[in-house]
Amino acid sequence: MTMTTTAAPVTETPARIEGRSPWLLAWRRLRRDRVAMVSLAIIVVIFLVAVFAPVVAALTGHPPNEQYRQTGLTPDGLPRPPSGTFLFGTDDLGRDILVRVAYGARVSLGVGVVATLLTVVVGVVIGVAAGFLGGWVDTVLARLIDVVLSLPFLLTAIALVSLSGPSLTLTVLVIGFFSWSSVARIVRGQVLSIKEREYVEAARSLGAGDLRIMAVDVLPNVLAPVIVYTTLLIPVVISVQASLSFLGLGIEPPTADWGGMIAESRNYYQTSWWFMFLPGMALVFTTLVFNLLGDGVRDAFDPRVDRLIRK
Amino acid sequence: MNRSHETEPLLRAVDVFKSFPVNKTGLFSRNADLLRAVDGVSLEIYPGETLGLVGETGCGKSTLARCLTRLHHLSAGTVQFEGRDISSLSRRELRPLRREIQMIFQDPYGSLNPRRRVGSIIGDAFAIHGIEDSSSRKRRVQELMELVGLNPEHYNRFPADFSGGQRQRIGVARALALRPKLIVCDEPVSSLDVSIQAQVINLLLDLQKDLHLTYLFISHDLSVIRHVSDRIAVMYLGKIVETAAADVVFDSTRHPYTRSLLSALPPADPDAADARERIVLVGDLPSPVNPPLGCRFHPRCPKAQEDCAAVDPPLAPVLADPPEHLTACLHPVELDEDLSATDPAIVDPSLLNSLGTEQGGLP
Repeated sequence: MTMTTTAAPVTETPARIEGRSPWLLAWRRLRRDRVAMVSLAIIVVIFLVAVFAPVVAALTGHPPNEQYRQTGLTPDGLPRPPSGTFLFGTDDLGRDILVRVAYGARVSLGVGVVATLLTVVVGVVIGVAAGFLGGWVDTVLARLIDVVLSLPFLLTAIALVSLSGPSLTLTVLVIGFFSWSSVARIVRGQVLSIKEREYVEAARSLGAGDLRIMAVDVLPNVLAPVIVYTTLLIPVVISVQASLSFLGLGIEPPTADWGGMIAESRNYYQTSWWFMFLPGMALVFTTLVFNLLGDGVRDAFDPRVDRLIRK
Repeated sequence: MNRSHETEPLLRAVDVFKSFPVNKTGLFSRNADLLRAVDGVSLEIYPGETLGLVGETGCGKSTLARCLTRLHHLSAGTVQFEGRDISSLSRRELRPLRREIQMIFQDPYGSLNPRRRVGSIIGDAFAIHGIEDSSSRKRRVQELMELVGLNPEHYNRFPADFSGGQRQRIGVARALALRPKLIVCDEPVSSLDVSIQAQVINLLLDLQKDLHLTYLFISHDLSVIRHVSDRIAVMYLGKIVETAAADVVFDSTRHPYTRSLLSALPPADPDAADARERIVLVGDLPSPVNPPLGCRFHPRCPKAQEDCAAVDPPLAPVLADPPEHLTACLHPVELDEDLSATDPAIVDPSLLNSLGTEQGGLP
C-alpha cells in the first residue's frame, strides 16, 4: 500500500476496539435510570403472573370461572370480603377475584402487546413507504392517515362489535386499525427528514435501490422514536382494551378480564369495595409502570443536557 | 499545466438544465415557479485532471454535481460519460455506472449513517454490487481504511467515534471502494478545520496520483481550488461564466465576477494587503427563480454597460484568448485594468442617498 506522509494513521489503541452502538449507549443510559429499571422489573413480574395464572389457580384451588355459590357468596347472595379462602374476596357470582385478576393479566398484556406490535408494524411500513417514496404513494397514504385519524374511535368500535359480536381478535384489530395512523404519521415525518440526509444520497450514489436504502439507512434511524412510542403505546392500548371490555365490547364472558371485572363491580362498589379494588389497581398499576418505563426509554434515547444536570 | 486536450473527455456535459418547482400555490395547482438551479451548463472533464468548480453558496454547484453523477434527473441537456449518453438512463441502467463515478460529500457528519459501523459503511459498495464475499470483503475494507490513513482496527467503530477529518477519510474510502474513474468532490473540506483541510486535500491529491483518478472538485474557497485544480470553471447563478487553466484564471481572468472573487483572496504577503485591488460587490446574489435578464451578473458588475442588461453573453474566447479560455462577458476585463475604482453601474438610488457624502471615503 502506498502510505502517504500526510495520511498519518490514528494513534494505536492496544485494547479491544469495538464501537459502542447507539443502541448499546441507550441501553446503558436506561440501566442507570432507577425508576425505569424498577418499572421494568415490575412489568416482568406482571408478565410472569400472566404466564403462570394457572399456577395461581392451582395454589388457591379455585379455577377462574368456577362459581362458589355456597362458600363464595353471603346468604344474601352478595360477594364475600377478603378472607383466608378468598384472599381478595369474591365477585357477584362467587368467583375468586385474585385468580380472575391473574387470568385477566393475560388478556390485558396479550392484547396490549399484540395490538401494539400490529400497530407499530403497520404504522412503520406505511410511514416509511409514504415518507420515502413520496409522490402519489405519499399523497394517497397521507390522506388515508388523515381519514383514519378523523374517524370517531368508540362509535366505530361499537358499530363493528354490534355487527360481529365481541371477540378478542376483533378487539386487537379495532385497536390496531385506529392506532397505526399516528405511528405512521410520526414515522413519515422522521423519514421525510432522514431521506434528505447525505448518507441516503451516498447510498444512492453507490447504486443502492430503494428497498435497501429503506431497510439499511432509513429504518434503523426511525427506530428510536418508534421504540419510545411503542413503550408508551402499550399502556394506552391496555386501557383502551379495558374500556372496550367495560362497555361490553371486549371479550365474551365468562373469560376474566380487568375491564370486564370493573364493569361487573359497578353495582357493588358501595357494599363490596374489594370487588373493584384488585382489578382496578391492577389496571392502574400496570399502565403506570409501562408509562414510567416509557419515560425512561424516551430519556435514554434522547439524552439532553438539562436532564443530565438534574440527575 | 497543459493537458493534452486532444484526448476524449471522460465526462462531457452539454447544455445541462435543472430546475425545481417552488412556491406551489394550491393543493391541486400545477402552476409553480421554477427555480433554475443549473441553467445551461456545458463542461468537459478530461481523464486524470482536476476540474475545480468554484462559485458562491447557492449558485448551483452541488446541483450541477448531482446532475453529472445522475443523482438528479436532468431537466434538459445531456451528460456523456466516456462517450456514452447517461442523461436518460433509468435507475437500474445506472447501476454499472455507479462503479465509475463516485462522490465525496460535504458534511462528514451527515454523510455517514450514525447507526452503522464504519466497516459496513465502507463495505456497502461491495454488498450492493455483490462483489467480494464476506471474508474478503473485510480485508478489502481494511485495505481501503489503511489507504486513506485510518486505523484498520477501527473497523467496528461507529461514525460518532471519529473526528471530522477522520470521518471525511471514511467518506473517501467509501468512494474509492469501487475503484471509480471519476470522483466528484462536493466541498469535501469546507466543514473541516483549516489544518485538517490540508491533510484531506493532500490525501486526495496523493490518491489521484496513485490511482489515476479524475476529480471534479467543488468549492467556494478559491485558495483550495487553486491548490488542487488543473482547470477551473467559475459558476454564477446557474451558469458557467469563465473556464480556463488554473493559472490562467488566477493570472489573467477576463470575467469581472472572477476578478471580484480573486480580489477577496487574502494575499500571501501582508504588506501587499493594502495595495491590492478590492472589488466590493453590491447587493445580494439574485434569486435563481427570477434571474436578471441579459448577463446575470450585470446588476452587481462594476463594468456593466447598457447592453449587459439586454444580451446574455455566450461562453466563448474573448479578446485574444486561446480557445481553452472561455468567458461569458460582453466587456471582459483587460489584464491591467483596475476595477476597484469603478463604481457599480447600477446601484439602488436609495442606497446612494443613505451613503450621502461618505461615499467618496469608502475604501
